[in-house]
Amino acid sequence: MTPSARNPAAVRETFTAFAESRDEQLRNKLVEEHLGLAHQLARRFANRGEAYDDLVQVASMGLVKSVDRFDADRGVEFSTFATRTIIGELKRHFRDKGWAIRAPRRIQELYLALGPAIESLTQQLGRPPTVAEIAGTVDASEESVLEAMEAGQHYRTTSIDAPNRQDGTLSSRLGEDDAAYTGTEDRLLLALSLADLPERERTIINLRFVEGLTQSEIAARVGLSQMHVSRLLAASLAQLRSSFAQDS
Amino acid sequence: MNEAVELIIPVQSDLVVLARLTAATVASRAGFDVEEVEDLRLAVDELCVSVVNGSGSGRLNLTFHSAEGSVEVICVLDGPFTSPDQAENGYGERDLSVRILDALVDEHGEEMGDSRRRVWLRKRSLRHQGS
Repeated sequence: MTPSARNPAAVRETFTAFAESRDEQLRNKLVEEHLGLAHQLARRFANRGEAYDDLVQVASMGLVKSVDRFDADRGVEFSTFATRTIIGELKRHFRDKGWAIRAPRRIQELYLALGPAIESLTQQLGRPPTVAEIAGTVDASEESVLEAMEAGQHYRTTSIDAPNRQDGTLSSRLGEDDAAYTGTEDRLLLALSLADLPERERTIINLRFVEGLTQSEIAARVGLSQMHVSRLLAASLAQLRSSFAQDS
Repeated sequence: MNEAVELIIPVQSDLVVLARLTAATVASRAGFDVEEVEDLRLAVDELCVSVVNGSGSGRLNLTFHSAEGSVEVICVLDGPFTSPDQAENGYGERDLSVRILDALVDEHGEEMGDSRRRVWLRKRSLRHQGS
């Protein structure tokens, strides 16, 4: 894959045209021209046990998201913006998938507890938690949490008999009821609850959880401080949670 | 709180794990959130691997300076090295390293002498910015 040799001005011009027309062909052209970057970044993460092709796929998805979200008027080069987004996608991919078979079981189990703990603390606090806060929640030392996070960097293909995040093994979960049914109910309920939020809060929730922007990116997008976005997110999530509690 | 931690490792890619673990510990002590710890870990990995890849022998001297909400990492290579590749189209190995560090930290830089290469980075925690 030959990386793009186009100069930044030409790239910006194409993005400006794409922003106006949202033309599918322009979008494809922009993605194709930058696929080299996705491959390069996938290669950087390839020594961690995940299949290179899978990483290219994840990085390419990140690239597509970058093309869709890039705002040429913000004065940042596309390659810088895309690198940030693609690294974010790769980080998420590693965090959500598998763990090191070489790591001791204690660390594997702790690593598996980290994801849900981080998720719930982030909701509670309205910002990513510190290592100390996570350690307090999973009842482990900060050192163990850091060790587990490091172990989580060296992933191997997941065995279906290895423990997973649902306190069982993947093989023991095969053939169970399709959780998508309750998922659909939850989504409908969520859509109704979202409609009760003010427009600005709805936009922020959408940018955070649908488009996957960070709080600071949202802050720049909607013209508020990151702290303000954090407070609005926390308050909106609390309101959504209470709607859920009432309705279910 | 102002702390400095020094780490000296031989130029070997399998020892970069020590730099990553130190970075994560220092960042955590400086009050970074989990995303920021992860970013600093990746950035230090990038910093060290880019130096290790360009040299065959020598020692890496790493210094981690931390204060509440900020960490600075300085990595000095004492030993022979080859200048990293910088492609005309902006997609060489060095360009990629620069781009990755741009994405992960607030500031970074590099100085090269005859037999000494010094790379550094600085990252501040979002929660502590402006405080």
